[in-house]
Amino acid sequence: MGRGLTIFPSSFDSVSQKAEKATAGQHLAALNPFRQTLATYLHLAGIETGYGYFAPNVAGSYNLVFELHYPDGRVEYELPRVNSAAAGLRIAGLLDDIGRTRSDALREHMVKMMASSIWHEHPKVKTMRAILGSVILPGVTDFERGKAESYEFLYAYDFSLSDESTEPANR
Amino acid sequence: MDTWRGRLLQFLFPVESDRWLTVLRLGLGLQVILYSLSLLNDWNYLFAATGKGLITRDLAEALLSLESRFVPRLGWIAALGTHVSLGEETVLSAAWICLLAAGCGLVAGLFCRCSAILAWFLHLCAAKSGAFVSYGVDNFMTIGLFYLMLSPLSDRYSLDWRLRKSRPKDPQVLGFWRRVVQLHLCVIYFFSGLTKCLGSGWWDGTNIWRALTRPPFNIIPTEILVRWKYFLPILGISICLIETGYPVFIWLKKTRMIWLISVLGMHIAIGLTMGMYLFALIMIVLNVAAFGPDFSITETKGYVAGGRKPVPV
Repeated sequence: MGRGLTIFPSSFDSVSQKAEKATAGQHLAALNPFRQTLATYLHLAGIETGYGYFAPNVAGSYNLVFELHYPDGRVEYELPRVNSAAAGLRIAGLLDDIGRTRSDALREHMVKMMASSIWHEHPKVKTMRAILGSVILPGVTDFERGKAESYEFLYAYDFSLSDESTEPANR
Repeated sequence: MDTWRGRLLQFLFPVESDRWLTVLRLGLGLQVILYSLSLLNDWNYLFAATGKGLITRDLAEALLSLESRFVPRLGWIAALGTHVSLGEETVLSAAWICLLAAGCGLVAGLFCRCSAILAWFLHLCAAKSGAFVSYGVDNFMTIGLFYLMLSPLSDRYSLDWRLRKSRPKDPQVLGFWRRVVQLHLCVIYFFSGLTKCLGSGWWDGTNIWRALTRPPFNIIPTEILVRWKYFLPILGISICLIETGYPVFIWLKKTRMIWLISVLGMHIAIGLTMGMYLFALIMIVLNVAAFGPDFSITETKGYVAGGRKPVPV
């Protein structure tokens, strides 16, 4: 409700946000013993998050593609890879986190870490561009009309091996 | 006042057999084993520290420390390993082996309490250190293992029962912990259902369509889904009703079995159509343990003190 995702009017947003902070002890200082104890218990018992899975609505998914540039001019494309379907579900969650975070710094840092792991597997790469996009799914009617899923460009980050500096190229 | 207090105590501390605990122990043991095996080839890649894995464990642990510095994490175990000159990969592999062994211990019912604590601790470490790659299944595994670890283990079908002659003391404590699991599930389903009801997409089937076509859950070909498009709103509304109505209809004798079967059916369908097998299994285990068929208490003679009858719900 606090994020304005429900059918409730927007006037509920700020009230919900305040209520959420109060019940989780977030209005207290970070090192407050009560807040620390409460947070610890919530994590130990597995009840630190809500239970709104796929709710109130099913959000879209994200895609992250790495464009690998080799010294000889060759370009290859790489996706984050794991060895099992179970781990694949986890990667999808990770991409959702990257796509949804409101912190640009955190998003950039996470993409940079993933780029670093790709670099470990492709040590000859000279520069790398990470492109984050959201997947636009067609509705039933659109699909029947022949519309396929599409991608919307969100962010791009350039990395080079020399200084590993990042240069975000926002949408 | 005394009557209400008595009823409340009767509700919170019913006399129960230990079969629900057997279901919970076996189910969670199997879940832990499958969880471990599913990550066999990706364990070190997902949970390694800076630079070695897909995404650094250090970042998730740093963010966790902002909330609490006392929540277990793989970094603690890695630091411990460093003191005895063990490399990170070795420590992570050892943690994986211990988690698998704890799962096997739970299935066999050997050292039940230790196995439950070890499974809870190691899984929690992995879930917290890998917060960016965690999802709902990890929350429910933590919840299940947390209650299992606190429940009066061991149960009559465990090896501990046969080999070590360990016996729980009070069947009402068994009843209390089952009640806690039951109430927790009611809270979970109610709020899950309520938040779905607040989204417009569950009433017209849009969310079912999106959930089934969204990568990586798009197991069923979209062409097949289109043929069933008129059923999508019915499915969406059914899910809202099943979840929101759970805290009421699961308690009523007449509707309990219908609701339990509906919820189990829903989770089986989620597992098969979206590939969320581990998520489906943990929810089935928790539901069957909490609200599965009540077994006769008479079979627990020599175990139930005072021969008190179970309180019908």
